[in-house]
Amino acid sequence: MIRAQRAEQQNDSDWSLLERVVQKDESALAALYDRYSGLVFAEATRILRDSGAAEEVLQDLFYQIWRTAEKFDPARGSLPGWLLVAARNRSISRLRRRSTRDDDELTENSVVLPCNLETTAAQNQLLGRVKTILGGMPDGQREAIELAYFEGMTHSEIAEHLAMPLGTVKTRIRSAVEILKQALA
Amino acid sequence: MTNGHPIRAEEFELFALGVFPGEESASIQAHIDSCPECARKLAEARGRIALLALAAPEQNPPAVVKQRLLEKVRAEKSSTIAPARVRETRPSAPWWNTVWAPAAVALAIATVFLWISDRRLDQQLQQIQQATRTYQAQTEHAQALVSVLAAQDTVTVKLDATPAMPKAWGSVKYNPRMGMMCYTADLPEPPPDKVYQMWAVPMTGNPVSAGVFMPAAAHNGQMLAKVPTGMDCKWFCVTVEPKGGKSAPTGPKVLVGTL
Repeated sequence: MIRAQRAEQQNDSDWSLLERVVQKDESALAALYDRYSGLVFAEATRILRDSGAAEEVLQDLFYQIWRTAEKFDPARGSLPGWLLVAARNRSISRLRRRSTRDDDELTENSVVLPCNLETTAAQNQLLGRVKTILGGMPDGQREAIELAYFEGMTHSEIAEHLAMPLGTVKTRIRSAVEILKQALA
Repeated sequence: MTNGHPIRAEEFELFALGVFPGEESASIQAHIDSCPECARKLAEARGRIALLALAAPEQNPPAVVKQRLLEKVRAEKSSTIAPARVRETRPSAPWWNTVWAPAAVALAIATVFLWISDRRLDQQLQQIQQATRTYQAQTEHAQALVSVLAAQDTVTVKLDATPAMPKAWGSVKYNPRMGMMCYTADLPEPPPDKVYQMWAVPMTGNPVSAGVFMPAAAHNGQMLAKVPTGMDCKWFCVTVEPKGGKSAPTGPKVLVGTL
């Protein structure tokens, strides 16, 4: 019975699960957690390099979904997109000891993912694709875009960190972004 | 800048990545807040950039995180349901329905009663929280003491009396690696408005205060102090200082020990 219910929840869309979270159905929250906690935790751990802090970010995000699920608007973007962006923002803020405005993120950070991540198969496929795209970039480009994404560094900070001219850093990041865009198009 | 938009089409991803300096970023954000077309483009760019997260090494969170989350959620659910039940049950006694005034009085009494019990519960909760905090502080203090006393690189320094107080004695356990010291001292009551103050004196630089104390507190050997890690200490001393202590020794030395 429970297994059948779990299988059914695995097939539910994010939005139908969110509607049930609005009705305070904790099994729907658990289903969303099972679906996306791995992605969020991996991202937060990579940024913070501290699994304990990453666990806190993960728990806070899903608790925010529980408290404010009614604020999510499907027309404004996707739930996994919001989760990935919010996890990055909060982790970088923690890393740099900046404050965040958690409740505003829901309405301010619309994120439209170019693909569906609702199933494990789709996630695995995309994981492989992103790693292939980054693996195909020249080392300098990959390093620069990873410093920007995972360390939250600006152009100037990356230039200083790598002891490189600012123009070189800007070119590398722009090229890396172009490769990403084209590969995901 | 193109057609009144401060951001070119190919720059939305860079903005989403956060590589622009603060001022430029703020002016772009101000425009996006009022431009639906740019807001839509940014949402799409954010989605493409967000996929970089998938480059992180795969990791699954420990099962306990989900357990904690669901416990928190259940606790919230039960706390929001409880008051509703109270409201449903209290006014339901049928024979009151025809006697409004006594019912109102009863309700008022019940409200006062509930308010009093709520305050009592609140006070009990505060007492429990205070006791828990005290217990935690004591536990942490004991753990720190044990760690200093058990460390192999902790040194013991005997404190000798000075002519100012010939019967006094004391000792210090000092661990420079941990930057911790604990000490004990047998001293008479200090003069009114005075306290004893322990000092760690380095080879170079000014003496560092290791706390003020009264004889009763130091007698059982549980005074614990944090000093700068790796400090090259030369000697320790106890002086008599005004209440609250001083930033540098001013009073007479009553105990002195050389490392």
